[in-house]
Amino acid sequence: MIQVKYFGMIAEATSKEGEEVSVSGKPFSEVLSEISSKYNLGDLSYQVAVNKKLVSNPADLQLNEGDEIAFLPPFSGG
Amino acid sequence: MKKIFLEGAIPSEFIADSIAKHQSKHSIGAHNIFLGQVRADEVDGKKVSAIEFTAYEEMALEKAHEIREAAFEKFDLTCLHIYHSLGNVAVGGVCIFVFVSAPRRKQVYEATEWLVNQVKTEVPIFGKEIFENEESQWKVNS
Repeated sequence: MIQVKYFGMIAEATSKEGEEVSVSGKPFSEVLSEISSKYNLGDLSYQVAVNKKLVSNPADLQLNEGDEIAFLPPFSGG
Repeated sequence: MKKIFLEGAIPSEFIADSIAKHQSKHSIGAHNIFLGQVRADEVDGKKVSAIEFTAYEEMALEKAHEIREAAFEKFDLTCLHIYHSLGNVAVGGVCIFVFVSAPRRKQVYEATEWLVNQVKTEVPIFGKEIFENEESQWKVNS
């Protein structure tokens, strides 16, 4: 299982702040596209962080048990 | 990891206390402070009454730490502090407070500008503008 967290307008779209997702050896890109289609995130702008670091090329990554991924819409602090 | 978040608007007393705490550091010759205040923007005839801030707090603290380290590398500073609000901040409230101190003046101007830009672009904080009629929209940084 991995922890998935949602923020800002993404949390609004998913109607939750987070959930546990089973990845069972799936490639990261597949996990992302499953979440995106489940909640219809296709039109929204977001970046993905793995264990609190932004990832620029998710396709290259393999997830491990216990990883925390986050869907982050554009930052708008300040 | 230093804390950066305060619940609600940043009180003037908090800012005054921060200044007072630095008067015992005698290598400092210049302070510079940036305060961001929530503005009553008008969008399609609706007026913003507050901004509701949320954040990916653990990542935000890590990011703020990296920004601090980078600022000390880049500028000759004695100390620096970054504070940002979480939760609801009504118009007129201060939601970001960046405080930079150095032996001399030139560094603090440059460092403050750089730090505020870094916080806005690199730290996962999300602002939602709440209108007087209770509608809302997600804030976009320009």
